[in-house]
Amino acid sequence: MHIPTRWTKIVKDIWSNRSRSFLVIFSIAIGVASVGMITNAGIMVQRDLYGSFAEGNPASLEIYISPFQRDLTSAVGAMREVEDVQARRVERASVLNGEGDWDDLALNAFPDLTDLDVNRVNLVEGRMSLGVREIAIEKQSAEGLGFVVGDTITIKMEGDRTYDLELVGIVHDLYGMPYALLGEATGYVNLESLQWMEKPSYYNKLDVVVAENKYDREHVLEVGNIIRERVIEASGFRVGSMGVPGLGSDPGKHWAEDQIDGFLLILQIMGVMAVLLSGGLVVNTVSAILVQQIRQIGIMRSIGAVRRQLIAMYFFNVLAYSVLGLAVALPLGLLGSWWLAEFAAGFVNFDLTTVNISWQVMTLQIILGLLMPLGVAIYPILSGTRMSVYDAIYQYGIGSEGSGWFDRMLMKVRNLAPPIVLSLRNTFRNKARLVFTLLTLTLAGAMFIAVFSTRASLTVQIENVARYVAFDAALGLPYGSKKQTVEREALRISEISVAEGWAQSIGVIVREDGTESGELEVVGLPYDASTIDPLMLEGRWLDASDTSKIVVNDDLLDEESGLDIGSEITLKIGNRQRTYQVIGVTSKHLSGSRIYMEYASFGQLTNRPNQVDIVRVRGNLKAIGSSAEQDAIAFQLESRFENASLSKSSSITRHAIFGDFTDVFDLILVVLMIMAGLLALVGGLGLTGTLGINVLERTREIGVLRAVGASNVSVRQVIVIEGVVVGLVSWVLGALLSGPSGRALAGAVVNAVMQADLSYTYSFEGLLLWLVVIGFIAVFSSLAPSRRAARLTVREVLDYE
Amino acid sequence: MKTFWNKSGSNGSGNGKYKSNGHLIAFNQVSKIYETSAGSFTALRDVDLRIDKGEFVSIVGKSGSGKTTLINMLTGIDRPTDGEIYVTGAAVHKLDEGEIAVWRGKNVGVVFQFFQLLPTLSVLENVRLPMDFGGVFDRQERNDRAMHLLELVGIEDQADALPAKLSGGQQQRAAIARALANDPPIIATDEPTGNLDSNSSAKIIQLFENLISRGKTILMVTHDDELADRAMRTIRLADGKVVL
Repeated sequence: MHIPTRWTKIVKDIWSNRSRSFLVIFSIAIGVASVGMITNAGIMVQRDLYGSFAEGNPASLEIYISPFQRDLTSAVGAMREVEDVQARRVERASVLNGEGDWDDLALNAFPDLTDLDVNRVNLVEGRMSLGVREIAIEKQSAEGLGFVVGDTITIKMEGDRTYDLELVGIVHDLYGMPYALLGEATGYVNLESLQWMEKPSYYNKLDVVVAENKYDREHVLEVGNIIRERVIEASGFRVGSMGVPGLGSDPGKHWAEDQIDGFLLILQIMGVMAVLLSGGLVVNTVSAILVQQIRQIGIMRSIGAVRRQLIAMYFFNVLAYSVLGLAVALPLGLLGSWWLAEFAAGFVNFDLTTVNISWQVMTLQIILGLLMPLGVAIYPILSGTRMSVYDAIYQYGIGSEGSGWFDRMLMKVRNLAPPIVLSLRNTFRNKARLVFTLLTLTLAGAMFIAVFSTRASLTVQIENVARYVAFDAALGLPYGSKKQTVEREALRISEISVAEGWAQSIGVIVREDGTESGELEVVGLPYDASTIDPLMLEGRWLDASDTSKIVVNDDLLDEESGLDIGSEITLKIGNRQRTYQVIGVTSKHLSGSRIYMEYASFGQLTNRPNQVDIVRVRGNLKAIGSSAEQDAIAFQLESRFENASLSKSSSITRHAIFGDFTDVFDLILVVLMIMAGLLALVGGLGLTGTLGINVLERTREIGVLRAVGASNVSVRQVIVIEGVVVGLVSWVLGALLSGPSGRALAGAVVNAVMQADLSYTYSFEGLLLWLVVIGFIAVFSSLAPSRRAARLTVREVLDYE
Repeated sequence: MKTFWNKSGSNGSGNGKYKSNGHLIAFNQVSKIYETSAGSFTALRDVDLRIDKGEFVSIVGKSGSGKTTLINMLTGIDRPTDGEIYVTGAAVHKLDEGEIAVWRGKNVGVVFQFFQLLPTLSVLENVRLPMDFGGVFDRQERNDRAMHLLELVGIEDQADALPAKLSGGQQQRAAIARALANDPPIIATDEPTGNLDSNSSAKIIQLFENLISRGKTILMVTHDDELADRAMRTIRLADGKVVL
């Protein structure tokens, strides 16, 4: 079959300029693969996480209740507002891991794990029908602790007594917080095993699915209040706490859905940026091709080619790149989506059923991969084929001087060495191409610095939260204890210099119209507490005389819109209520809605004077201890309080609270840095392309330089300086743009991950690091074009018509 | 003689851009002025010229006399500032870029001093390329015709070679074969031997004489008087004017 030579020419041109072809194919692939990776990952997460989550009948509400039996469950289940209800017993325990250390374990007891009505778990391995002295472990916990079916698991309840159980099943539980995040394992036993472990057989938690408006938070909480008043309290039981499961998410929604969606949105924005920048790179590279072929275009016109034939040839060229780019992008996007979905799956604890590319994503990638390069190549192809035969053959290769005000200003630069002057003027010769290159590098720089600013902001955000956790260790006192006793006992530990007993309870605000707010935490603490350093947004903190005054956090202001400094509110705990005035508002600190009041006021409200529910300690008033010091204090606190029969709970250290947090943030930042790195790579490739075009356009100039004695080093220097000037200009522009871009990215990440307002911190470290990176990019991008320029011989470039 | 020698460039008519006035090539008071940042430069002044079919004409003159400008006017590569140019009945000065490219592909074969072969195409493909653009010959014929042209210029054994593998003389012969691809009546060449040794130059001139005997009209720009003498007629330019 005879293929017209003009198509053969294009194929041969693509092959003969392999490095440039690779550049444009790679740039198309990056942009298209990014979009495919993120979109496909989102679809897989939607299918496998959100889909599986909904299938297991997720609870709308979880209610912790004083010990109760099955008849309470039946009574709640019989309510018309309730669709389903499941009772369970939750016990805090410890499990011996493979290294001989005790890890926290949340032990869930059900009558029959195979027959759950709410928050159903799925079998992974072994069996779910549990007998006495048998246990099932959650999948991620088993992996983390190194357990397999058949192992003997040693667990410890309150006290020193240990129990060996046989691990008969590994299950997947989408409804609990994952081990990878909280560091707490989850296990399942039946009630008979609990009895065998000398625990009374009762339930203490209800998981409830409401009948209607399952996703309406206000309605769900209202149903919760009805359940509490009409059934639970009416039956003589006490509600410990009640709320929507998760971290402030809406009912029926996976706890991480907002965070994942927010994170994917951020990645999608960066993916779109990658597409735009790769489009810029395609323009640059297609321009380079046309520049290189200007003379050939002139020749083809001289032998009869009309413009439309030439346009068709170069569109065919771009189409070939698009197809090859797609051939790389489709599998790359699939692999990337697999990696991203696996990352989310590991973080959130769900399984990917299949890794495939949806037809919608494939269609999107194909459209993007074909239309984007062809679309952006229109202008360079049309302008490149417009040149007359005369100019193409006789004029090209001699750069022309610009005549605008900027060029005249540059002409006044005289006192520098001629090669530097030449570089400066060459840099600004083709302003349209320079603007394009600067755009890609500036965006890359702005994003790069924005990622660092996001990291700095997150660090500050965590530090702000940490102000409310200004202790080395804390120990819960499940049944409450006398304040003086608790503090005295704690201070008997030589390493502890500060001990504060705090009281806490769950309350509601009674509004003027008689309705009640959702549950919120009420904390009674010393007004001059040392284990908290609140960040006041408005008003002031408590002082000694504040008996009817409270400080609220910003979360509460979001929930109760009419609340402000000076507002009077009626607070109710149990059956008791009092009115208080709001005197201050603290920042959000991942606690949910919270009210702080002076300790004595708390006692008056709850009728529990001198009772505290948690002790918070520090080794040193001036500084928080190291992780090892915190662990040592925690261990001593636990032992001391157990010996004194004050508490058998496990303590918690500050580093344990924040350790997993920062791990998660670091992972997110790694992903963002990879995206920023891709953008920097695309920007660098764009600069390489631009410098390459500039060398081609000034072939004869370079020949003249060689003819008058310029060495290889001098010729290279001209190109490298040009690259460095472009890099520096882009750094300045990127620095200017990085402020708003950093604020936008940091705000989006903090909102997505922490559901909190932003404390923005600009990263000067990122700014300086980008200066180093862009310098490296500028020099590295200049190497190939400068080497090409240095290789040109005088004969080649001047003896050329 | 093979049939594909019979297809020659068409003149067309009917739109005022095509007019036969008896001569194959006619320049009427043609001037060309270039505007540069240093001022205007007159490359051609009021040039009148007539060339008929079958002539072998050399155009001579010193550097800057306007030789290249004149031949560029004829081929449509450059445009006159004033005056009229008629070639094979077409008013070249009135054709736009697209029309000129089509007209040129069928009517004028251009041979450059530095050959200007496309580097990534083989010699055979370079010769075939104008036929693909012009559509004058059927697809099936193009390969055979291209080989025939290479035989004509004596480099058929280099058909599959890339231009970079050929000597200067071979490249120029390949360029001549390309110029003949669509069987144009006119061959325009600017310093065809300027880059060749004397042996190669002699072969090129022999080739031109062969083409004249086959009915072609050849215009050759040269600064070499000895070479110019091989032509039937010499047009001498000085300071943009025809002096002989």
